[in-house]
Amino acid sequence: MDQFAQQLVNGLTLGSLYALIAVGYTVVYGIVQLINFAHGEIFMIGAFGALSTWLIFFEGETALWTLPIMLVGAIAASVTTAVLMERIAYRPLRNAPRLAPLITAIGISIFLQEAVRLGFNDPTLFLSNWNPLDFPSAKQKVPFPQIDVVTGQAFTLGGVTIQRSALFTIGCLVMCAAGLWYFVNRTKTGRGMQAVSQDPDTARLMGINVDRIIMVAFAVGATLAAVAGVAQGLQVTNINFKMGFLAGLKAFTAAVLGGIGNVWGAVVGGLTLGIVEAMAVQFIPGTFGGSPWKDVWAFALLIIVLVFRPQGLLGAKVVDRA
Amino acid sequence: MSSSRTENLAAAHGGKAPMVAIAGGALLMLSGLLSWSYDDRILDDISVRFFPIGIQIYSMVLGLVAVGLGVLLMRRPAWMDPGKGLRILGMASVVFVLGTLLAIAKQAGGIVNANEGLYVALAGAVLAAAAGYLSPEVHIDVRKWPRLNSNVEILIIVVLMALLLFTLAYTLNIEDGAVFGVFLVAVIGIVGGLLGSGLGAYFGFIGGNNRRPLMLAAFLVAFLFPFTQNGSDENMSIATQILVFAATALGLNIVVGLAGLLDLGYIAFLGTGAYVAAMMSTSAFATIGWKPPFLVVMLIGACTAAVFGLIIGSPTLRVSGDYLAIVTLGFGEIFRLAMFNLDGNNGPDLTNGPNGIPAIPDLVFFGFDFGEVHSIAGIPLGRFSNYYFLLLALIAFVILVFTRLNDSRIGRGWVAIREDERAAEAMGVNTFGLKILAFAVGAFLAGLAGTIKAHVDTSVSPDQYIFLESAFLLAAVVLGGMGTVLGVLVGATILKLLPEKLREVNDYRLLMFGLLLVVMMRFRPEGLIASKRRQLEFHEDDEELNELLQAEHLQEAK
Repeated sequence: MDQFAQQLVNGLTLGSLYALIAVGYTVVYGIVQLINFAHGEIFMIGAFGALSTWLIFFEGETALWTLPIMLVGAIAASVTTAVLMERIAYRPLRNAPRLAPLITAIGISIFLQEAVRLGFNDPTLFLSNWNPLDFPSAKQKVPFPQIDVVTGQAFTLGGVTIQRSALFTIGCLVMCAAGLWYFVNRTKTGRGMQAVSQDPDTARLMGINVDRIIMVAFAVGATLAAVAGVAQGLQVTNINFKMGFLAGLKAFTAAVLGGIGNVWGAVVGGLTLGIVEAMAVQFIPGTFGGSPWKDVWAFALLIIVLVFRPQGLLGAKVVDRA
Repeated sequence: MSSSRTENLAAAHGGKAPMVAIAGGALLMLSGLLSWSYDDRILDDISVRFFPIGIQIYSMVLGLVAVGLGVLLMRRPAWMDPGKGLRILGMASVVFVLGTLLAIAKQAGGIVNANEGLYVALAGAVLAAAAGYLSPEVHIDVRKWPRLNSNVEILIIVVLMALLLFTLAYTLNIEDGAVFGVFLVAVIGIVGGLLGSGLGAYFGFIGGNNRRPLMLAAFLVAFLFPFTQNGSDENMSIATQILVFAATALGLNIVVGLAGLLDLGYIAFLGTGAYVAAMMSTSAFATIGWKPPFLVVMLIGACTAAVFGLIIGSPTLRVSGDYLAIVTLGFGEIFRLAMFNLDGNNGPDLTNGPNGIPAIPDLVFFGFDFGEVHSIAGIPLGRFSNYYFLLLALIAFVILVFTRLNDSRIGRGWVAIREDERAAEAMGVNTFGLKILAFAVGAFLAGLAGTIKAHVDTSVSPDQYIFLESAFLLAAVVLGGMGTVLGVLVGATILKLLPEKLREVNDYRLLMFGLLLVVMMRFRPEGLIASKRRQLEFHEDDEELNELLQAEHLQEAK
């Protein structure tokens, strides 16, 4: 029973991360019907943005008050990247055949990974004359700053070990979900987003600036991804420029699992995926269990859901997903 | 509007365009005789006057073509548009000269090291480009194509192919990365300038009239290539890589280019073939005790891949578009993870896990050892040359399968599915069967290539079959032109050759690759060598393209 509870906690922690990233996929998909394949890289850039902020302003400092500023840095980096990406790469392709934006997204994803790798290896490459302090090389894993209170001694609750960073992650998810709910339902822009996702042409006729709404959707997704990036950094204590690919894929799985386009679906899907992964590690018998195979189970789940229930757990029945 | 301003400019000064072009060309030719840099240690010594070498010769050829286009501009044949050619040539020349300047500045330490020849060339290049923008827009009339005796047409093909062979051998032998870069720009300028002015479509037309001689000549050129290398294996190893890559990309082209199904896990099929070949090879690390002859292994590898293709294709019944792309991506990752984990600890021992299967021996066919140097007519042919010939046979087979399928009922079914699946279904096309077939055939071909690849590389390991490789394959198809053979061959060559030769920028390789994908999708989604049908899909409202296509169809039908 303890083992089960422990895996449940692990799964919830993992799932919260997936959910935070998945919301970005879902919000963008709901509005432009575009799978922003490069969203995983936005998450990665969030983590690196937080790290850079910390390195520039308070290297060596571990006090809790640095955390909000790191979050601001992460969000700034992610949102800037996402908005630029939408403006430069996706907007010109809005009416192109569907293959074009997907290939563009792959291109952006590779480009951003490489830009971060090269930029961290040699910051003077992009910003000449900028004294880069003492930046670690991004070739290997880069250590993420340890912050008081959030990282540190784990505590035990009825035989279940809980990391403090896990609580932080789950807390972030709760706060972000509440904030998103308020934003979507109670603000003018949020209701504009709902309108655009239902029918962009009519929304435009009603005086909604569709281009702006799409940009906001990208920014909202990027904000949550940035928070996830910080949470990930605190949890596993190191980050690397490749971490966006797998995380992005998992988050996409989560979004599909919950029903893509549905914000609550993304949260539920993320948590479900996290729990399934944690349980698969523990409870699948034989040699195919264990952590080496956990990604395989996640992908298998993705394929099964896409094939048998493409509308997801909470999604409405859609006639054609072409 | 800038376009109308250019039109006004062209209307007012269009008459001067030929003279400007000839003047620009003359300057470019003159620049070849002048010194380009004070520093004689860089770029193969371009500081000598009246003894053109390397970059100076490229500049002279660019100038010659510019003069030729200028003359054509004066007495324009109805089926040509030399102005467009000049625009391409001129812009490429400007990039060419500026690139040289950059290389000089970087290698010799400052722009001061540039000498008068470079500035003369720059002036010439700008003039040539200006001539292109001055010449008025014209409407090409493809009905005015000159009809030649078919023997003359075949002669043209042979000459072009010989030129291609010469250029290829020359290109591969350029050692200096910077020289290679500017040479490439010069080639783009020369070829683009000539083809862009209308010769491209005309050569396509001639090629269409003489398909067989064209194919024969192309294969002859490819066959003769190792004989130009003097037994050196350096370029041949690149060439074998290109052939494996191209054969796989052609298989993917069936799935993506013809049937319009996006597959992001295609590298898994190549991996399947390679792993099957490795497991059944006589390597000491092979995990299966059975060692059948290689031809049997090839078949088993290809069939295993085809079975995987069937499995991966089966979801196409229910998902399509982006979802299919993600499903195939998932399959590709599962393949890689499985190869990584089947090491005896986490499952049965099939693949040796992350270490892979090394020390795969060379092939031996009926006493012919692929690992040894053989001499033909006094020219030694090394290990990679042997594999090159084998791969050439493979790629001939792949092209044969591709073209035969494309021209058949099946191929038309695929195109119908690509353009509108529901309409195709309504017209009685068996969409599911054809989609599954596309996956199976594509996987079969990739599996074949994989079995040979395992022996060429002498080892297999999971990290050769990552998502990025699938992205590269897809890029070769997209970059070259979906649904065309030539396009994919060009795309594969570019993607494999550039990183080998441009070692200076090797660290930025992937960065530029990502950027290339984005730019390509934005400005030329149909690829470098576009299948005309496909081009129309991306530019539905392009009336002119539509008319041109119809006129070409008429002309071909005659």
